[in-house]
Amino acid sequence: MTGLYSQHLKNPKLRYLRNGIMGVVLFFFAVVVLFPLVYMLAWSFGPAREMAASSFSIFPKTWSLDSYRYFFNFSPYSVRWLWNSFVVAAATVLGNVVFASMAGYAFAKIRFKGRSFLFFLILMAMMIPYQVTQVPLYILFVNKFKMTDTYAALILPGFCTAYNIFLSKQFFSGIPTSLIENAKVEGAGQLRIFGSIILPLSKTVLAVMAINTFMGSWNTFFWPFLVTSDRAMYTIQVGLKTFKFANGTMLSPMMAGAVISALPMFVLFFSLQKYFLEGVTIGAVKG
Amino acid sequence: MKNPKAATIKKRRFFLTSEDLNGYLFILVALIIFSIFTIYPVISAIITSFQDYKPFGSEWVRLENYEKALSSKLFWKAIKNTAVYTAVTVPGSLAIAFTVAVMIMPFSRKSQALFKSLYYIPAVASGVALSVVWLWLYDASPSGLFNQILTFFHIPTQNWLGSSKTAMLSMILMSLLSGQGSSIIIYIAALLGIDNSYFEAAELDGATFMQKVAYIVLPLCKPTTLFLLVTGIINSFQVFMNAYMMTGGGPDNNTTMIGLLIFNNAFEYGKYGLACAQAIMLAIVIAALTAIQFKVAGENVEY
Amino acid sequence: MKKLTALLLVLAMVLAMFAACGSNEAPKTTEAPKAAEEQPTEAQPTEEKAPEEDTITVLMPPVTGDYIELLDGWIADFQKDYPHIQVEVIATSWDDHFNKLSTMALAGEAPDIAEIPAKNVGVYVDMGVAVNIADYLPAERLADYDQNALDYMTLDNTVYGLPLYLTIQSLGGNKAMLENAGVKVEEVQKNGWTYEQFLKAIEAGTTADTFGFVFANAGVCTSDMVDVFGSISGITSNFTDDLKYAYTSENMLNLLKAVETMVSSGFMPDYTVEAGQRLVMLQTGKTMITGKAMPLFENNVKKNVAAMADGSAVEGSIDMEYVFLPVPTMEGVTEHCYGQVDGLIAMRNKNTTDEHLKNVCLFLDYLTSGERVANTVNQLLLACVCESGRQAQAGADLGQSPNNAAATTRCIGLVKAPPVGVTSEQAANAMTVMNEVIEPKFQALLAGELTAEKMYDEVCSAAFELFGEDGCETGFIG
Repeated sequence: MTGLYSQHLKNPKLRYLRNGIMGVVLFFFAVVVLFPLVYMLAWSFGPAREMAASSFSIFPKTWSLDSYRYFFNFSPYSVRWLWNSFVVAAATVLGNVVFASMAGYAFAKIRFKGRSFLFFLILMAMMIPYQVTQVPLYILFVNKFKMTDTYAALILPGFCTAYNIFLSKQFFSGIPTSLIENAKVEGAGQLRIFGSIILPLSKTVLAVMAINTFMGSWNTFFWPFLVTSDRAMYTIQVGLKTFKFANGTMLSPMMAGAVISALPMFVLFFSLQKYFLEGVTIGAVKG
Repeated sequence: MKNPKAATIKKRRFFLTSEDLNGYLFILVALIIFSIFTIYPVISAIITSFQDYKPFGSEWVRLENYEKALSSKLFWKAIKNTAVYTAVTVPGSLAIAFTVAVMIMPFSRKSQALFKSLYYIPAVASGVALSVVWLWLYDASPSGLFNQILTFFHIPTQNWLGSSKTAMLSMILMSLLSGQGSSIIIYIAALLGIDNSYFEAAELDGATFMQKVAYIVLPLCKPTTLFLLVTGIINSFQVFMNAYMMTGGGPDNNTTMIGLLIFNNAFEYGKYGLACAQAIMLAIVIAALTAIQFKVAGENVEY
Repeated sequence: MKKLTALLLVLAMVLAMFAACGSNEAPKTTEAPKAAEEQPTEAQPTEEKAPEEDTITVLMPPVTGDYIELLDGWIADFQKDYPHIQVEVIATSWDDHFNKLSTMALAGEAPDIAEIPAKNVGVYVDMGVAVNIADYLPAERLADYDQNALDYMTLDNTVYGLPLYLTIQSLGGNKAMLENAGVKVEEVQKNGWTYEQFLKAIEAGTTADTFGFVFANAGVCTSDMVDVFGSISGITSNFTDDLKYAYTSENMLNLLKAVETMVSSGFMPDYTVEAGQRLVMLQTGKTMITGKAMPLFENNVKKNVAAMADGSAVEGSIDMEYVFLPVPTMEGVTEHCYGQVDGLIAMRNKNTTDEHLKNVCLFLDYLTSGERVANTVNQLLLACVCESGRQAQAGADLGQSPNNAAATTRCIGLVKAPPVGVTSEQAANAMTVMNEVIEPKFQALLAGELTAEKMYDEVCSAAFELFGEDGCETGFIG
């Protein structure tokens, strides 16, 4: 990918200047984009009491860990909520990485009957707003499956999403078909091709899928809110909402909760960082 | 890729090739999950759209819900709002994400990692907490942050979310400045997949930077762009959380999104049949737009 | 190193996955006894003496900060008398209470008891899940409740629930500032005031860095302003006593014109104000009068003033005394205060039986009467709307100033319940006009983008379409 930019081999100064300018632009824009987050982080160290977001300073006057303490003392379940969210998000990631990518591969590279129709069906389903599918889904889980307050109810609806099938299909369709044909000629079955040729090439997209799915699941509020009644089964997002009382918001504890709830995603992001960078070297394989 | 299709047509209809079986095997789990948790609720919603829904004893009302929705001025206003919002935010977001992704490319691995993290981090914050922050940024009193900035430049303060002139603009600005993280990461994944030999060849032909972007990067990123465009439009047409948290649809319904309308009908007013009818119509609009996108981008996506 | 972290993470995920599968078993076991309890309900009773086991589900937002905790205690007390009745509490947050309630109700899985504001009763009546509680509750129990409050929970002459508390939404002010502006505070609290007096006061109270008056009106708070100003102009509810739609009356035009003048006057901010801001502006001396205000604000202000000593108060706070004020009254209009009842309603779901509903109503009545309701109402600095609650409340020291307490009692007496003959269809239509026309247009009026006359015309045309011209009051409501 380095080839996109001229290396200005004759004039390295020009290269430094160009990269410098771009770096400054990127950095400045990043500051703008990050601002709400900085505010969130700063105020999470604010005092743990009710206040309207009125002091209108970027940083709180006094700094303390009170809000974090408040968050963990607020409910005996605070830690449990984090754990629930983690379990649900992890299972959802696993389901999507395995099954959505398999389906995406099939839609991209295996010619089977009804392929276009089924893919069209999957796309169509994405287009119905979730607001109206929550009620039938609720009836299904509560009435038919009797699954209120279970991990299964929290995990299953997002276990293999149309979004991820579509994402992986788009990616896999970029892998040269000749690669697969060659393997077939050598007698490899589709499962082996998928496992030993396709997957190693797709670490990037799988990592992207993993982090996005994890984030999506982690931040989902409405469905977990509907299917959990037992406080011990809340996810962190449902729990966070209980910070809001009738007259006003516990601003700092809420921000502390948001920071805590974002932490696992930071960890995941940084541990997958490597794969985002690695990229795919299809060319090398092809050559 | 065109030959196999011709081949299957020649074969007997009920004969399944090993390719077919493989295909079904690969999508089996996805399909099961999908049928139960997506198709079933969707079909249920379609049925409900023809009913005056009551938990005990719904009545069939044929197309009444559709007629009611189509004759409501608010429905059309919400469609218009959503269309405006989508028309600006989706291409805008794509442009931002693509530009940032391309700009990150020339840097060393370490700097790339830094920038990627910086841009991705906002995506991980919970929506509720962020909307509280944005409400503060947009506070209409002179002490709101954006108003303080305006005052600094001697521009009159604005009634950001409270005025018809700026409310939609504020929503769009918020959308553009938050949540590009995923798109940037996805674009970077696509950019990293482009083989260097393309650029080397172009270099030999004396191609400029812009030419490389136009003739190599953009075409090769097409599947990614199509994906982001299609999912972006779908999400944008269904967006409601921002309006729900920030403005409640006001002022004068200028930020009432179709998603908010559906949500209110279903959960606030208990008019679930009407909500389903509106949702189905929305889905048809999105489907039509998606079909157009596939048609326009279509031919070259698979190769 | 990085590889190791990634590996560990994947491992953790797999573990979590197994944990998920394992834990699925746990909740099932807790559900099993529940299923067992439900079964006997369906079976015919063999013995008359032993009451059947029954489980009641209650969907509750945090009515007061510690309501859910208190509820657990009350349930334990209740079970001393009725050991066969189990109560399951589903705690929600205010923001999402109705979304969950609606989903459950639409799915035919409504909770047995839910907290709702009286104006939402129509939605559930329309859905066919609301229960006429008079069928299941002895008349002498119903007689415990004030008719006025009960009327709020009544639609089409049917009582669908019991009142928990009646909140009054009015104005609050800074005593010293009001007196400086020439307002005889105690007299106003005792006898009310006219709109002209109010206008003069906020004019006199406006200085370089203080507004005479602030009303939180951003986003969804707009409806509060319509409600409170409605009572200033003589509109107390959606419908008049003869069941005609009220927001098409001359009073409405007066109301809109008053708001129009006030916004452009400079005595009130010309931008939207967030809900959380109104109290802060009062505490920091940025406004003399604030709205909507409740008696409860006295506690907030006192706490804040006390917190000034250790610097944990709102930045820029001033030492002040909070006074709860009645709303002013326009010419020719009877004085009223805007009130809103929050109550508990009984609901039907797929498994509901008559026997079960009797238990539900028994528990419902238990929650909305006696010490339980007195405790809730005391925390909100209000007065009970049932006899047993008042008895339990008697002598409780709320720490409220005598004048504020007297003003509160007086204002509660000025609340006028909506007419009881309103049908659920009328209620639904009124909700549509309010949400789709009045609120949005009112926001435009506040932003100075619409004139009072123009808005009045739009409200009328929308209302005529739904109620017919005959169904709307176009004259003056005295």
